[in-house]
Amino acid sequence: MSATTTPEAAPAAPVTSARTTPPGPRRVPPPGRILLVASLAVATVYFLLPVYWLVIAATKSTDKIYGSNGFWFDSPRLLENIGKVLSYDGHVYLYWVANTLLYAGVGALLATLLAAAAGFALAKYRFRGREAVFKSVLAGVLLPHTALALPLYLLFNKVGLTNTYWAVLIPSVVSPFGVYLCRIFAESSVDDTLLEAARVDGAREGRIFFGLALRIMSPALVTVFLFQFVGIWNNYFLPLVMLSDDRMYPITLGLTTWQTSQDRIPELVQYTVGGAFLSVIPLAVAMLVLQRYWRTGLTEGSVKG
Amino acid sequence: MPVRRKVLSWGAAAAATPLLAACGESAGAARLTKQAPRRDGKKVELVFWTWVPLQKSVALWNKTHPDVHVELQIVPNGLNGGYQKMHSSLKAGSPPDLAQVEYHTIPEFLLVNGLTNLSKYGVDKLKDQYVDWQWNQGVFDGQLRAMPQASGPMGFYYRKDIFERCGAEVPGTWDEFRQAAIKIKKRGGGSRITTFAPNSALWFASFSWQRGARWIRTEGDTWIVDIDSELSREVADFWDGLLRDELVLPMADLQSGWYRAAQTGRMASWPGPHWGDALLRGNAPGTKGKWRVTTLPQWEKGDNASANQGGSATAVLQGSRHPAEAIEFAHWLNTDAKSIDLLVEAGYGWPAARIDLGESALGKPDPFFGGQHYNEVFQESDSNVDTSWKWAPTTSQSFEHIKDAMGRVAAGNGTLVDALGDIQGRFLDDFRAKGLKVRSA
Repeated sequence: MSATTTPEAAPAAPVTSARTTPPGPRRVPPPGRILLVASLAVATVYFLLPVYWLVIAATKSTDKIYGSNGFWFDSPRLLENIGKVLSYDGHVYLYWVANTLLYAGVGALLATLLAAAAGFALAKYRFRGREAVFKSVLAGVLLPHTALALPLYLLFNKVGLTNTYWAVLIPSVVSPFGVYLCRIFAESSVDDTLLEAARVDGAREGRIFFGLALRIMSPALVTVFLFQFVGIWNNYFLPLVMLSDDRMYPITLGLTTWQTSQDRIPELVQYTVGGAFLSVIPLAVAMLVLQRYWRTGLTEGSVKG
Repeated sequence: MPVRRKVLSWGAAAAATPLLAACGESAGAARLTKQAPRRDGKKVELVFWTWVPLQKSVALWNKTHPDVHVELQIVPNGLNGGYQKMHSSLKAGSPPDLAQVEYHTIPEFLLVNGLTNLSKYGVDKLKDQYVDWQWNQGVFDGQLRAMPQASGPMGFYYRKDIFERCGAEVPGTWDEFRQAAIKIKKRGGGSRITTFAPNSALWFASFSWQRGARWIRTEGDTWIVDIDSELSREVADFWDGLLRDELVLPMADLQSGWYRAAQTGRMASWPGPHWGDALLRGNAPGTKGKWRVTTLPQWEKGDNASANQGGSATAVLQGSRHPAEAIEFAHWLNTDAKSIDLLVEAGYGWPAARIDLGESALGKPDPFFGGQHYNEVFQESDSNVDTSWKWAPTTSQSFEHIKDAMGRVAAGNGTLVDALGDIQGRFLDDFRAKGLKVRSA
């Protein structure tokens, strides 16, 4: 699995780190700055190297992946490879892509909305048992997903939902960490007087939440969305126990079925590498596009708080 | 067949069930197999979990058998998640009808009562259509628990060109193998006769199997572990010697470095299973025409002892509602000549069915092996595999001990001979942890 998981998580660090250096210092930089830049450069190389290897390997044939220098091209044939990845076994890879986008996209979106609502309510409404609710949500942060997968499977099996899209989607829309983050953020950024003013102006609670709170909380929401998106994207164990129809698999699970069949069909080495390469692209794009909101948003929050 | 003592007793497993429950482990399948009445005109649906690409054979079945439809679902292979899924589904009482189960994992499934007793449904009359030892892999307490599908009989792949260049004889015995290894080290320009794969417990087990060692057996309700036996020690000592004199490369097999060694000729031969042919062909296409295959070297000159690495069965999981149809399909899948040809194409291994090599896709000469009818070697190998070898019901954990020990030895720490005693002890612990009665031989 390392081939598929490490590169996906990698792009975040170098991209943000490259921009944290303030522009054009005129004086000779102090040694501390040089050390900082140097260590960040090392970290960048460290994180990008596997991705670089993946890009190079995606252009090779199976025997060249083993038989040539891993860090340079050898008779590249990227398009041919990608064509084969996409068409193998009745275009099954395209199903996996669509499924993954569904699980991660829809799942993360719903999870963000739920987390926002719960976090906002926990921060701004006073009701009996509020702290108890919050503490049990916090406890949820500590429970690893893997430990929950099996009990969830038995539960879903009872209601006949295993091997359906719901089996992966429903557990994915719950994000205790998101609730936690949204509560903290709502507490510090959504002003009580603003809510009072809105109520005085006659806005209903729904309107306040959707029209006002959601907008103010948007930096936190982007964070929750990204975390949840990446979390679902990389979640292996839940779909593994829940799904058995390979047309419903997400990319991670699908690629594993390819990877583990390599001792029967050697071409699958190439297809697995090619599939991993393709699967990195959407995550990299999501990070690049969203990180702008993410970073500015978090700093705004910190200044206000 | 000689009269044997009761090979394995599942009384042990049954007695252990309460203990398992107390440990919070799976105590068994939540639902038992029962035949649902067949209604006229209603199609029977069978679900089949496997990681072997059997699509074409299944499509052929579905075309030729309109009243029983098989839905093939590809799951990750055994230890990468497939078995976990199967165990979860057994526990939940909604298993697929059919599942791929490797020979060395059958006892583990029996321990949770996960496999339908096929003998109850009259499969024993089909026995003659299968290779003896493969059929026997599924027999426990005289009852067949899984339809044999395919195996990995061992042979000896070697680079004809390198052996000739180094003036090395193709070995008929392991002694000659060592002589050839010395020559190849001396004259091969960095080549070694083969690799020692610390990651493959099955590979190492196959040599003990060939030597005549029997790691696991039972007496009454007691399991007997005999890994640290005279015969196994002889095998371990042989490989210790090769490693000590640097006649073999310590290197994980079926991974990038290993494939590169196959491409570059650093690895001049490979005592490996039949299914390795596709790996050499696919991963080292540049060596086409240079490989040949012969019988696995023998411990005594003139013997024809063989062994096996890998192999699996088609099991009817406990809880199926259509065992009769599932058996009918499993038997067809693994014995029908057309199906076998499609399975061979998918790289499923060596057939469990007795086949006529001349009629089969396996009988063709292969230019990769210099036009040799190389599968004749494997057919003979498969028919010479000893029928009495059995696996432990703790294989998944216990193999890790073997790998750990082999890894230490390959890194230059200690010897395999010394490690066997340690492995033996850990096997015993694993049995006891499952609440099974066990002792050393």
